[in-house]
Amino acid sequence: MNAPFFKFGYFNDDISLVVAFVIGIGFGFFLERAGFGGARKLAAQFYLNDLTVFKVMFTAIVTAMVGVFYLSVLGVVDLTLVYVSPTYLVPQTVGGFVLGIGFVIGGYCPGTSCVAVSTGKLDGMVYLLGILAGIFIFGEAFDLVEEFYWSTDLGTLTIPQLLNLPYGLVVFAVVLMALGGFMAAEWAEKKFGPRGIWRSKP
Amino acid sequence: MKSILSSLTVNRMLFMLAVVLGILALVAGDPYVGSSVTMNGRELALMVERGADHVAARELADWIIQGKNDYRLLDLRDETAYTEYHIPTAEHVTLATLEKYPVARNEKIVLYSEDGVHASQAWFLLKARRYPGVYILRGGLEEWKEQVLFPAISSSASPEDRELFERAKSVAAFFGGAPRTDGETTTTPALTMPKLETPVPLSAPTSGAKKKKKEGC
Amino acid sequence: MEVSSATSAGEWDDTKNRQNNEQTRQRTDETTNTMTLSSHHLPIDASVDRQATRTSSKAAQPYWNPYLAGIGLGLVLLAAFVIMGRGLGASGAFSSLVATGVSAVAPDHARSNSYFSEYIGDGTQHPLKDWLVFEVLGVFAGGFISGALAHRVRKGVEKGPNISVAGRMGFAFAGGVIMGIGAKLARGCTSGQALTGGALLGVGSWAFMLAVFAGAYATAYFVRRQWQ
Repeated sequence: MNAPFFKFGYFNDDISLVVAFVIGIGFGFFLERAGFGGARKLAAQFYLNDLTVFKVMFTAIVTAMVGVFYLSVLGVVDLTLVYVSPTYLVPQTVGGFVLGIGFVIGGYCPGTSCVAVSTGKLDGMVYLLGILAGIFIFGEAFDLVEEFYWSTDLGTLTIPQLLNLPYGLVVFAVVLMALGGFMAAEWAEKKFGPRGIWRSKP
Repeated sequence: MKSILSSLTVNRMLFMLAVVLGILALVAGDPYVGSSVTMNGRELALMVERGADHVAARELADWIIQGKNDYRLLDLRDETAYTEYHIPTAEHVTLATLEKYPVARNEKIVLYSEDGVHASQAWFLLKARRYPGVYILRGGLEEWKEQVLFPAISSSASPEDRELFERAKSVAAFFGGAPRTDGETTTTPALTMPKLETPVPLSAPTSGAKKKKKEGC
Repeated sequence: MEVSSATSAGEWDDTKNRQNNEQTRQRTDETTNTMTLSSHHLPIDASVDRQATRTSSKAAQPYWNPYLAGIGLGLVLLAAFVIMGRGLGASGAFSSLVATGVSAVAPDHARSNSYFSEYIGDGTQHPLKDWLVFEVLGVFAGGFISGALAHRVRKGVEKGPNISVAGRMGFAFAGGVIMGIGAKLARGCTSGQALTGGALLGVGSWAFMLAVFAGAYATAYFVRRQWQ
């Protein structure tokens, strides 16, 4: 068995779109299960009242990271064929900062706004229109930022490569960090508790 | 044991599972190499027996003429032989450098050497590293010369064979070779290896026209 | 709903009346459902009219344990790695949509724009016939399935008690615009960069993730009126 299946030509482009739809269903399903269809739940993260966003995100990262690590070590997945997006350090950091601002002002991120729309949140719909407008503005102004956009190109770079550490050691460190983070999150939620509108949990 | 397990909450169990998997990751090995190599000898043997590990010289010639780019052609001879002549589109690699050579597992790889021995050894090395699509150019460069560059036909050939030979002649011309007359061998000095000029493909590359690179979010 | 007055006796009018009645009944059902559901679990949501009299039999179920939901999400991501050799995404699909829109209105302009032209491609394939576009369509469907099963699908606006609906909408739109710009600058959003790149230990993705939290925490205080 050779994975990633698509890269080994086990199915064609048209089937891959069906796969995309099914994977999307799973993605949307678990986002909604976590409560990410509502902006209040998402925004609560940034007022330290409800750290669900942190918990779900890092559990997902750890699960996928550990999963793909073991499947590669066992020889099921060829990790060189799994696409890692290249690093453009400064634009990505600045973009992340801007995105964070948009996140707390609007209350969603692109993926969660889709779930918000399909569960009937009108603010999610307006937010989604905002994203389209933002992308349009970015596209029109691309000439102005193009140089910055391509700056600090580090290529495809992973943390094990950067620190010159074994991959397994980094996996171990990330797991430990996440578990420490989860314990801190549970403690913080008990300590600060849900305040204000978050007291009445939906 | 059972009572201990059932007294744990779901979160505690997940916590412990994460700790165990994290610690095991320390000693599990490098995911990019894939530390465990499993070989299925019978499967490999059957593959060789079926001839599923081979590409014929004429087939490869057709690929090059059609401008296909869904394969990688690796030349395993030494450097001087490579610079003197190599099949168009071939890349030079030796058995020693093969391990580090950047070929991806999902690529179709065609190997050749002078007579095929080195190619078969490289084939085995790549198969051991679980490359699924590895092929050997049957007969190596020798057969490439005999069938593609300098095709020959016996005087007692049937009309069908003569028709095929006409096509072989044009293929040979494409690669800078010439048809042989009866009795000549490929080592005859009169038949010089063609100069290394990358022939222009007759048609534009078909498959693998560069897809837009936006696999990210 | 006004029932049209019968001007002449006959079968036609009867039918029309019957249809009208049916429509009225359906519409009442819909509104009642919406109202009762939202009155159940969003007690402070001012945007929803609460004149409903019938109580709903279906209360919204609580959300899952975040760690279990996270594992589910992680397994979906892992499936994407194993089956496709790529991760999840969302904002890329919106880029394809915007590029398609621009291309439909002003084709030459879209082609000459170096950003949109990348999403439009060479014309051999429709720009919306894209992996991420279909994945995002699935996200809509999956969110609806989960929401419907847990009785959480309802019309409403998510906001705190101290802000008007219009105010919240303004914030939502502004946030969306900023998010759109940030996501394009960072080459991805929370799903494409943070989740996918995070799980593959990409350096840029981890820098991105830290920056997202930094940006959000830095801004949270100034927009607290929206939620608290």
